[in-house]
Amino acid sequence: MKPELLQGSRSRILASVVLVIAAVFVLRLFYLQVIQHNHYVSLAQQEQVKKERLPATRGEIYALSGDSPVKLVLNETVYTVFVDPAVIIENDSADKVEKVMKAVAGGNVVDDFDKLLDKEDSRYQIIAKRVTRTQAEKIKDEKLSGIGFTAVSQRVYPEGQLAAQTLGFVNADGVGNYGLEGYMNDELAGKDGRLETVTDVSDVPLTIGDRNIREPAENGKNIVMSIDRNIQSKVEQALAAGIQRSRATDASVVVMDPNTGRVMAMANLPTYNPSEYYKVNDAALFNNGTISAPYEPGSDVKTYTMAAAIDKGVATANDTYYNTDSIKVDDRTITNATKGHTGVISFQTALTWSLNTGFVTLAERLGNGKDITKTARDTMYEYFHDRLGLGQNTGIELANEQKGIIISPDDADGNAVRYSNMSFGQGLDATLIQVTSGFCALINGGNYYKPTVISGYVNGEGEYVQNATPQPAKLGVVKETTSQQIKEMTHVARSSFRGIDKAGYYIGGKTGTSQVIKNGVYADDETIATYLGYGGSDIDHPEYVIMVSIHGDHRILGGSADAMPIFTDISNWMLDYLKIQPKG
Amino acid sequence: MSQTNNYYVSRRQQNYSRNQNTTRFQSAVKLGPVAHTVLVALMIIVLGLIYVTQATRTTGYDYEAQKIDSQIADYNEQKSELEVENARLTALETVKNSSVAKEMTTPANTQYVQE
Repeated sequence: MKPELLQGSRSRILASVVLVIAAVFVLRLFYLQVIQHNHYVSLAQQEQVKKERLPATRGEIYALSGDSPVKLVLNETVYTVFVDPAVIIENDSADKVEKVMKAVAGGNVVDDFDKLLDKEDSRYQIIAKRVTRTQAEKIKDEKLSGIGFTAVSQRVYPEGQLAAQTLGFVNADGVGNYGLEGYMNDELAGKDGRLETVTDVSDVPLTIGDRNIREPAENGKNIVMSIDRNIQSKVEQALAAGIQRSRATDASVVVMDPNTGRVMAMANLPTYNPSEYYKVNDAALFNNGTISAPYEPGSDVKTYTMAAAIDKGVATANDTYYNTDSIKVDDRTITNATKGHTGVISFQTALTWSLNTGFVTLAERLGNGKDITKTARDTMYEYFHDRLGLGQNTGIELANEQKGIIISPDDADGNAVRYSNMSFGQGLDATLIQVTSGFCALINGGNYYKPTVISGYVNGEGEYVQNATPQPAKLGVVKETTSQQIKEMTHVARSSFRGIDKAGYYIGGKTGTSQVIKNGVYADDETIATYLGYGGSDIDHPEYVIMVSIHGDHRILGGSADAMPIFTDISNWMLDYLKIQPKG
Repeated sequence: MSQTNNYYVSRRQQNYSRNQNTTRFQSAVKLGPVAHTVLVALMIIVLGLIYVTQATRTTGYDYEAQKIDSQIADYNEQKSELEVENARLTALETVKNSSVAKEMTTPANTQYVQE
């Protein structure tokens, strides 16, 4: 006979209770493990799986030193030191922390940092910034409690302020602003990687788990600029000397290779220190005036008018006109700044002495010979704007380029008076880089190159990979014969200033003095002085083009007196630096 | 008339005949159901231990890898510092102010070899 639990016995009741409890357990487990599965899996993942951003290293920026790249902008890891005052007070270690910080990182501590150590109600206070790794190691060696470090990557500029406005800076969020840093931010920043992995309590990634993701960071591109640091340094020196000599307030220079469009130097003064960009009070200092400050270029543009006239076959250097030191256009009378060269004179004389009447005459000859007709205005616009790039962005790889203004002849304001002014460089706004790029085309045989500040890049193996030699963006913007005549004319114009250039070289240039518009009218007490020229061993081999502008508040500065000496200083130095052999 | 009968003998049969004295071994130890269960449990435990050992060893490698990663990061940081130092030491301003540069003079005359 099989033993059976008696109906209503205590054993049977106990069995029922156990069964009910077991059923409750099973149901609860079913609820937790099946119904709430996703919820608890996600909770567990939040606890165990660590998601981390793998920061990409920002690309470095190089300049050239001759043919070799040298680092101009690097990255450095520095540390922000913070404390937990509550822990420091608890351990009574404030004095020791203060002593160690003063001894190791005295120059990096924040003001009154010793008072921050006593803030009882705070758990986080920053006591030092930009502490180097070596300093951080020394502090760590002291084994102080309640002190921590946050690593921060910052840009380092071993050359200080050199080419600051061309480089730009990287702000606290790691974003490039202004200059190359701003324009090429995406390429320089690279792409952050991603890490999702199970970690232990110390955040050490473990290979267990089937959801581990590791996408490595793509570091930013290391860019090599075409800026030569030696030329850049010389240019900045020459600018500083020029400003001091002329008691000016600001000045800019562009040095370009006319045969490639590569910018060899680009400088503005005053400038700023990019490693201390946050100390700058006037944001205008961040602007690179050579690309973002359009102005009336003045008499430098006479070379453009001359080129258009020669190219169209309406004039040559030796052709003549009758100069009366003034010329009437519609209801306006235009006069020469330099007077006395009256009578029948050549256009070469008009260029040498920068006589406005000669260039208004050329503008008329581009029309019917008497008036600056629509045909003349169309031709000038075609040469100035379409062919030589005035009034439009050049596309240089720098942030905040401004295109300036050149009024079309189809516009109501594009009348004869406007174009008569434009023939000698007024009534239009252009940047230094535009004027320089156009002039390069005028003296290199007639090919327009897009200006560039990039020469190549440094690859992962540290090798310098040069970009392909730039090709002209526009071929034959003026005829080769026109280019030859412009070189000769500007050489003759420069030769009127004797003994300023090294013997045996072929140097040419044109002065410019333009009025400044203040409150809508030309100011009588302020000008911008410019000089635009080139140099080389002979007429067929121009090696560089330099454009200088200098300006002072309430100062009347002249192209020949104030801008030309800066050009001469740089040009004579360039001849030696580029090892150009004299042939003349 | 004579008749010939051919009998085929397989190789296995031949071998069997050759080893006809072989006897089959029969163990005297008999395992009951409890012993089987214990053995299976033991095997599971051993396999489990092997798995745990391997998993722990992998985790050990993780710590080793983490240590190496940390060393690499440290060396990279040192390399960056040295590069920065090198750049500072070869900066134009430093070179210009060096004792060697200070003793340099501008050449009075430059002669070129004609090309």
